[in-house]
Amino acid sequence: MNDQKIAKMGRRSFLQITAGAAALVGVSLPRNAQADSNSQLSTIIDLSLCDGCADRETPACVSSCKTINKDKIPKVVDKIPEPWPRKTIEDWSKKKEVTNRLTPYNFIYIHKAEIETAGRKQIIFVPRRCMHCDNPACATICPFSANHKMKNGAVVIDQNLCFGGAKCKTVCPWEIPQRQSGVGVYLHVLPNLMGNGVMYKCDLCDDRLKEGKLPGCVEACPRKAMIIGPKKDMEKLALERARQINGFIYGKAQNGGTATLYVSPVSFDLINKSIQKKPGQPDMKQEVVRRMAGTDNPAKAVLIAPVLGLVAAGAFGWFARRKEMVKKEGNNNG
Amino acid sequence: MADMILTEKNLVSRHSMLELAEHWLIAISGLILFLSGMFELPMSNRYYISSVPGLAWSADFITSLYIHYFAAIIFIAAGLFHLVYHGIRGENGMIPQKGDMAASVTIIKSLFGFGKEPPMHKYLPEQRLAYVGMVFIMAMLIISGMIKTYKNIYAQDMSLTVVLMATWIHNIFFVLFFLAFLAHMAAIALRPNWPMVRGIFTGFVRLDYARHRHSLWIADIEKVDLAQVAEAPEIVLPAIEAEPLPELQTTLLTHIEGEPTKINDETTKQQEISED
Repeated sequence: MNDQKIAKMGRRSFLQITAGAAALVGVSLPRNAQADSNSQLSTIIDLSLCDGCADRETPACVSSCKTINKDKIPKVVDKIPEPWPRKTIEDWSKKKEVTNRLTPYNFIYIHKAEIETAGRKQIIFVPRRCMHCDNPACATICPFSANHKMKNGAVVIDQNLCFGGAKCKTVCPWEIPQRQSGVGVYLHVLPNLMGNGVMYKCDLCDDRLKEGKLPGCVEACPRKAMIIGPKKDMEKLALERARQINGFIYGKAQNGGTATLYVSPVSFDLINKSIQKKPGQPDMKQEVVRRMAGTDNPAKAVLIAPVLGLVAAGAFGWFARRKEMVKKEGNNNG
Repeated sequence: MADMILTEKNLVSRHSMLELAEHWLIAISGLILFLSGMFELPMSNRYYISSVPGLAWSADFITSLYIHYFAAIIFIAAGLFHLVYHGIRGENGMIPQKGDMAASVTIIKSLFGFGKEPPMHKYLPEQRLAYVGMVFIMAMLIISGMIKTYKNIYAQDMSLTVVLMATWIHNIFFVLFFLAFLAHMAAIALRPNWPMVRGIFTGFVRLDYARHRHSLWIADIEKVDLAQVAEAPEIVLPAIEAEPLPELQTTLLTHIEGEPTKINDETTKQQEISED
């Protein structure tokens, strides 16, 4: 059923993607793009097109996202339990209107980068949200598997399983997930001793994707600065677009690769310099190492550890038997 | 290694060097897995553990993951080695036998002063039951842990159902592993079991203790010894005929600097009891 829906989404969105992509780069997508649309998806955010919706009070992507997710978080309890011993409580329920940073009630915001190059001032608008990494540590080492990477590449937190320990935020290089205390399953276990709410972030509108719809931000963008499609095609398209505008790409190599590709006419070093990293306002530094990559080799050794045990048991068993036989022969001969 | 009685030293070998190595590799790696697994929960920072000098690393989940993986390599390899090596050698003294459950109840009652312990083999009935329980817990932890490990390297988008099952099995058996460890420590804390503790460090336990509590085991060893003697009569028999029985020799002749040792006195008493 879901597969059918995704396939349907593939055909429908493909047309929109193709139209957007064609407008973007003046080339059409390869023919096999449609066949691949069941596999992992990727988004391109073209910063040469985004104008931050200067004519609107709230950028279209932000307001669409807020509308779609307005009822996502259940009612926060009146008296949020005080965690022990560290007494951190994060309550955004009375600041739902905040749109200039990531919060549990705001999964996307626009960073306004004022950049001076060659004596010329330039303003770049950068929509910021979860990058949906190819190998997301936030999901793979969630102790309750409340955070998971779906087949389509969306990294999704299940708010019914999350305890709000914020481990995902700690291991995310951009510290994207945001906590709302006073909601979630922890309230029914040991609210003062274990857990502290639920972590929230962009889920690439996974439910909408399954229904054959586009993510809210992509659909709402009046400048078609965001497009979504099969990962391989999007990577190709991003490269082509970057070449065309003599620009730069962010998100392809960072943290071992992501499903979000920013294309910009100015370097991301300059954009990053314009960002003062604050809670809920991630930076865009070039060097983002996937720290878990270092654990891959020990992990592979874990997978072959049973073979080590078997081989050693066989070898020791053979030696022990041989020793006994030699001893027995010695006794018989002596 | 076949178990061996060292009458002169009032000792009987209970574990070979290989068995000691297996036990301690599994025990130490298991404890490291337990601790590093705890630190995979977001607790170090919350509970100020990372503020303790020398423990700042415990708040870093990736560091704990490295430690967890390295310990898992030893835990899995040693665990499988143990099962396969002793399996192919037919060493099944720790496999539960019929009636172990009822015997365990009798023994536990006797530890609290109700009734008498029955004569026992090398391993106590409750040890055999606990062993199977621990093997099951370890097996579940290893299988679920390996699924999680595979996901971490090769399949981040693995079926959510499989990931959830592996995760919850790992978490539940993590708690059971800790409870089993506590039960293991509680068993050691019981006074009648104290003489067995030296066995897991040195490989030997006191012979008088073994004769008293594990009489079926000692009888087995002596049966094997006699069988070996019977197999090679031309060499061993004259020596036995020429000398008193080892037990008698120990009782009557063993002295340290001219004085009988306290151990030998106890040994004598035990022998008298068993002879009665």
